[in-house]
Amino acid sequence: MTLRRISVILALLGIAVLPWLLTTGYWRGILVLCAMNVLLALSLNLVMGYTGQLNLGQSAFFAIGAYVSTILVKSHGWNFWPAALAAILASGLVGLALAAFATRLKGHYLAIASLGFAVITYQVLINWESVTEGVRGVYGILPPVPNTVALFYLVAGIALAVYLLLDNLVRSPVGDTLRAIREDEISAASLGVNAAVWKAFAFGLGAAIAGLAGVFYPGFVGTLVPDAFGIIESFTMMAMVIVGGMGTMIGPVIGAVVLTFLPELLRGFGELRLMIYGLALTLVVLFMPGGIVQAYTSLRARRRP
Amino acid sequence: MTDFLTLFIQQSVNGVYLGCLYVMVALGLTLIYGVLNQINFAHADFVTVGAFAAFFTATRFATRVLGIPDTGAYLLSLFSALGAGALLGWLVSAAVFAPLRRSGADELRPLIATIGVSVLLENGQLALFGPIPYQFDSPLARETLRIGKLFISAQSVLVVAVSAAAIAALYAFMRFTFMGKALRAVAQDRETAGLMGINENLVIALTIVIASALAGVAGALLGPVVVLTPFTGASLIVKAFACVIIGGFGNMEGTIVAGLLIGVIEAFTVQYLGSGLIDLVVFAMLLAMLVVRPTGLVAERKEENV
Repeated sequence: MTLRRISVILALLGIAVLPWLLTTGYWRGILVLCAMNVLLALSLNLVMGYTGQLNLGQSAFFAIGAYVSTILVKSHGWNFWPAALAAILASGLVGLALAAFATRLKGHYLAIASLGFAVITYQVLINWESVTEGVRGVYGILPPVPNTVALFYLVAGIALAVYLLLDNLVRSPVGDTLRAIREDEISAASLGVNAAVWKAFAFGLGAAIAGLAGVFYPGFVGTLVPDAFGIIESFTMMAMVIVGGMGTMIGPVIGAVVLTFLPELLRGFGELRLMIYGLALTLVVLFMPGGIVQAYTSLRARRRP
Repeated sequence: MTDFLTLFIQQSVNGVYLGCLYVMVALGLTLIYGVLNQINFAHADFVTVGAFAAFFTATRFATRVLGIPDTGAYLLSLFSALGAGALLGWLVSAAVFAPLRRSGADELRPLIATIGVSVLLENGQLALFGPIPYQFDSPLARETLRIGKLFISAQSVLVVAVSAAAIAALYAFMRFTFMGKALRAVAQDRETAGLMGINENLVIALTIVIASALAGVAGALLGPVVVLTPFTGASLIVKAFACVIIGGFGNMEGTIVAGLLIGVIEAFTVQYLGSGLIDLVVFAMLLAMLVVRPTGLVAERKEENV
């Protein structure tokens, strides 16, 4: 048995056991949230970590997944699963549209354009009241499965599947291509890499995965309001990716788990959750640019000279 | 017809005064970008800090401790906002920009680090001041001048006067002082400026302090005309970026024109489309600008880097 297969089995065991270690409804809710955050962090990491495109608009795809699936179920009477599929496709397609900007813009300009895209999406959710209900919100949304434990198994299972898919992807020549674009786009182009196509691929796939996470969010909280998808959501995803270790597969997973559970362990401080995210983001960039993963590997390297 | 004309002029006046506030914020961003090639994402949150500093100076310290009357207290609060902004700018320069510059980080790490600072500042203020909006009552906001059918608040006259003075002072500083010359030299070519004996670290720190002081003053001017919450400044960052992109990154004149333009467009958007659509319109303009001449903007930056 390879190390990889053992890890997958351990991960499956961990997912199976966790809801029975944290048995209160509250903690099981946190577990679902954590699985969703893992999905979101993985989606942003593909674009930001592997392809090197600073995308501040990931919250928009999370929103599109949530809104498209909910509206199709609530207003058009679709079943959950076809609605989910349509929502994922919609997120992916809008991701391709944002990629049209990404192929022409770099660095700071792309960051601001994608931020603008997130702001516009948020404003559309608020102002297009006939479809989205605006700030009033949509209420009484049911999850696709009967209870929280089942929802956790579902989302965590999907997160594991997405992890394995992306893990295979970044080991394949496609992963080399994306990394080549990240390191030096001009050199990559000179070797025959069509950077525009592969950036569009990364944006589209990343957007679809964020949309996939969004599909499960409304059923989990029961309501859908635009405020759940402000640009701060893009920043929390970024904090998870950076704190864990950008451009590694396991890093964003660790970041998502740490940043979901850390504020819960420090409860009683009310507004502290986002303060911790902000502080963690700044401190990690300053002192530990490779995140937890790099800190761990350099610690091990130091112990074995 | 005359009613239409009055409305048109009235909204233009409102737009110019809004635009002056945007220019005060956006100038700082573009100044930092020009010298450092970096974005301070927390810049607009300095506006909020300035607004709160002014609020507590005007309504608590000046009136209750020093016993200065209304208008004097408010004018004094402008200086405390300036100081608060400058102090924050120095802190961010010393704690974030300087270490990252020394470690030779790429262009995106300072942006990400200052996003963290922004999130921290907003939520720190939320924990300190709470989510309930503060009523910052400036005596000048209550007074209105009437010219024919036009109504102009004394506050907007002050906003235009202070921003005009600040911009004039900034130009004079850049043009006529040694430090200003050093600043322009560092903006043109940091390494060569360093070889000429210019202390580039001092110049960069000074630039960030000046930019942040402008943001602080903008906060004191903005406080009395908006609902003051920990997120007041955050709502400005999108418009400040729009000014900077439309004006051209690092281009001061362009930023001033773009700021006034966006102010006027906003005033007319409120009049004819509704206030909910402001961010949509401004950002659609920004994205359109990026589509129309993205290569021009990016190519300009590349030349500087080579």
